[in-house]
Amino acid sequence: MPIIQAENLSKVFRIPHKDPGVAGAFKAVLRPRFEDKVAVNGISFSVEPGEIVGYIGVNGAGKSTTIKMLTGILMPTRGNVQVLGRDPHRQRVANARDIGVVFGQRSQLWWDLAFIESLNLVAKIYEVPPARYKQLLDQFAETLELGELLRVPIRNMSLGQKMRAELAATLIHAPRIVYLDEPTIGLDLIVKERIREFIKQQNRAAGTTVILTTHDLGDIEELCPRVIIIDAGALIYDGPISTIKARFGKYREITFETLGDASACAVPPGAEIVGAEPRKLTLRFDRTLTTASQVAQAVMNAIEVKDFSLAEPDLASVIKQIYGGALREPVTP
Amino acid sequence: MMQALRRRIKVYGAFAAMAPKDYFAYTAWVWVEFIAQFLTMTIFVHFWRAVYANTSTLNGLNLPQTLNYIMLAQVLAPLVQTRTIFQFGFLIQNGQMAIELLRPVDFQARVLVDTLGWLGMYALLKTPLLLIAVILFGLQLPTSPAVWLAFGILLVLGRAVVFYFDWIFACLAFYTTETWGLSVVRVGVATFFSGILIPIAMMPGWLQQLAGAMPFAQAIYVPTSLLSGIASLADAPRVLLIQLGWLIALAILSRAVFNVAIRKVTVQGG
Ligand SMILES: Nc1ncnc2c1ncn2[C@@H]1O[C@H](COP(=O)(O)OP(=O)(O)O)[C@@H](O)[C@H]1O
Ligand SMILES: [Mg+2]
Repeated sequence: MPIIQAENLSKVFRIPHKDPGVAGAFKAVLRPRFEDKVAVNGISFSVEPGEIVGYIGVNGAGKSTTIKMLTGILMPTRGNVQVLGRDPHRQRVANARDIGVVFGQRSQLWWDLAFIESLNLVAKIYEVPPARYKQLLDQFAETLELGELLRVPIRNMSLGQKMRAELAATLIHAPRIVYLDEPTIGLDLIVKERIREFIKQQNRAAGTTVILTTHDLGDIEELCPRVIIIDAGALIYDGPISTIKARFGKYREITFETLGDASACAVPPGAEIVGAEPRKLTLRFDRTLTTASQVAQAVMNAIEVKDFSLAEPDLASVIKQIYGGALREPVTP
Repeated sequence: MMQALRRRIKVYGAFAAMAPKDYFAYTAWVWVEFIAQFLTMTIFVHFWRAVYANTSTLNGLNLPQTLNYIMLAQVLAPLVQTRTIFQFGFLIQNGQMAIELLRPVDFQARVLVDTLGWLGMYALLKTPLLLIAVILFGLQLPTSPAVWLAFGILLVLGRAVVFYFDWIFACLAFYTTETWGLSVVRVGVATFFSGILIPIAMMPGWLQQLAGAMPFAQAIYVPTSLLSGIASLADAPRVLLIQLGWLIALAILSRAVFNVAIRKVTVQGG
């Protein structure tokens, strides 16, 4: 039985035209004019209990909007969502009891109070039994290194500290599903690592289902066996990360800035040209057939090279390629 | 049933207990409000003494009665000078509304409990101001426990009436971003028609009717009249019934409006 089921989910924002001032506000209320913006467009998927799913896409793709519909704070314009057998919007409060949500840029904690006070309150409102609260708190304090943070008000915390505090508060009632909307945005590598470790641990130990939006490929590679990729509000891929890795991990791009005419160069074996300008050459090579140094060597032997760079495939370019139909080509393992 | 009720009290009580802690994170504000209220009270006392210089009664009220009323109304004034509309707008625009709607409690009930729970804190905070008024300006407080009890009930219900009224207007924030202006207008209207500046009994007939058509007087004029001695305890049951009428009507209406407005939630950002 899927724990989350989305069918043909769409959200169209009606953006009101407003004139400034109180008069404008009244006018907007009395005679509103609107413009439609399709943020999510007919998305269907389902998630089984215990899965960690990466929900990815570039900025503005519709990730947060989808999360808001799944959590019940936004009513879908069309389509259906079922979470734990409930309609999350109609039964928002009941649904809220069973889920945990982290929005990367906001906080559910009390800004001016010591973190432990917020945490105590969260435990009370979710009615976590005191013994269990203590046990979880000890466990979280260790994994997330919360020790000294407990007495610190949220407003005095760094971004990384805040996110660790937020995660602890979100998971302290052992929710069955957690939605993490860009939890690692702006964090340094060490904090990212710690947070990923914590998420993994919660998933393994408590069977927590995790939906994670990010545009950090590192998050995805470490946490998510399965990814859903959306672009411009539409679903463009739903499947194992291994397929994507096989496809895009296999190729690398290398760009040369040349002094002479770049077109004079013969293409080395195992590589192909993806871009050629008079003084710039971009090659894509298959890592199973050749290496970066072999390709570079071959090019440097042929022409004078001023500089060259090797690109890691970033999420935006992966998505661009997928959108361009790359996944429809046969995938060789 | 009792068990469920006790659980609810615990949950909502825990929320309400945070409000004073949050408030005292800004101790400076406690002093600023205190000094501002003291100054306003001083000005009002002198103003009304001047008004009574050539007359002994105005619309049936003598000077001590009017002063009593004005000082008490001044102490209670911040309770209706609230900016709920603006606060809602702020919550929606900075996206915090999403967080509030994700808490596993009834949002309106939670804010109501916060608001009413705050009254207890408020009583403590304002005791020094009352004592100063007694010592410096001869404020006379009733000694009958029954009057205090009735006052307490009228104040709590009156505050709840204003809460539900504000809630309805606050839902405008789901439709418009211009909430600051509306909020300022709301505070101005409430200050006048709640009876903070002059007892409603002194207003011309048409203004009295207008004030009666608005809920603000329920939180200031109604309880203050009783505590200051310009209304008698015998009148309390009648007044209480009117308050209950307001309360029930506005509670039902505000829930309906919120349920419609929330469908329009387009929580910004994220
Ligand atoms: N409340 C809103 N009102 C109008 N448009 C919105 C609103 N929220 C999001 N959008 C638009 O919907 C699209 C998807 O936004 P979002 O879901 O936040 O993207 P993501 O989280 O993937 O970056 C964007 O074009 C954004 O501008
Ligand atoms: Mg987003």
